[in-house]
Amino acid sequence: MRRKRKKRSGSQEEVTLNLAAMLDMAFQLLAFFILTFKPSPVEGQINLNLPPPRPILPPEQIQKPETEEPEGDGPAAAHTLTITINSAGNGQVASMQVGLAKLFDGGLTADRLRILDRRLKDVFAIEGKPYDQVLLRVGKSLAYGELMKIIDVCTKQKMSDGTPVNKISFVELPEN
Amino acid sequence: MSSLPSAENAEPNLTPVLDMVFQLITFFMLVINFQAASLDLSLKLPVVGSARPVEKGAEDLLVLNINTAGQVMMYGNPIKPEDFVRKEGNEARIKLQLAGKKVKKGDELPTLVVVRADAGTPFELLNKVLTECQSEGFRKFALRAMNKVDAG
Repeated sequence: MRRKRKKRSGSQEEVTLNLAAMLDMAFQLLAFFILTFKPSPVEGQINLNLPPPRPILPPEQIQKPETEEPEGDGPAAAHTLTITINSAGNGQVASMQVGLAKLFDGGLTADRLRILDRRLKDVFAIEGKPYDQVLLRVGKSLAYGELMKIIDVCTKQKMSDGTPVNKISFVELPEN
Repeated sequence: MSSLPSAENAEPNLTPVLDMVFQLITFFMLVINFQAASLDLSLKLPVVGSARPVEKGAEDLLVLNINTAGQVMMYGNPIKPEDFVRKEGNEARIKLQLAGKKVKKGDELPTLVVVRADAGTPFELLNKVLTECQSEGFRKFALRAMNKVDAG
């Protein structure tokens, strides 16, 4: 009775919203987001600056211009370190060569990657040979996963001025 | 007697429920990633420990999902990489021209090419795509990899 009187009495009337419709819509939105939610895996990336393609040259010719005047802006004219990766037919590494010197024969293992890392550290530490980019001569059938392991080692290196190596170019080698 | 519930007052208080639902909606809206739609999650990316986290920038991105057959995957459909890269190169040049810059084919484009290739893709096929990109003028590349082996 008291309540009725209050309502009639005027301005302080209780206004109740019907929330059911809003809740309905909110649940629909929630259902949509739950159903479409697909957390993507956390990915990383290696940033590279790839110069324009150049014709294939044997390593002897690529290594020579180091002390000579540059002819252009491609890998052959710059101070380029050449790494040759021969591939076995199954996508694995068959052998590897840094510059003109053979590094190892056989597939990539953690130990061989350490050997490569040490070798590159030595090469980049040599004064008077300021390499500023790496040219990877890669066998046709080498799997991208294996190549990435080598790129990973290369991008970890620092040049003589302390900047990381990120200029890497690729050249395809014919199958052995 | 007035405390007894009557038939006309048997309405539950929906405000806290609605509150909670809105909070959940806000959460899902914040974590939803529309960019993930352009990623082909069926590809098995290589695992590289030192891969840096992806930088979020306003940069123009061109995502290339490359399968083991060397095809570019777009929303689950394989496309010939040459056609796709050429089309994207043309679009990037038109965009620059509309912004008042003079560019011709082969000139450097500011787009970052994100390469998401399957770990088993032979270099020969991958190199074809990279060379095509380079000839279109793309110079900046980001090779995607997983930081650790995905348990799933």
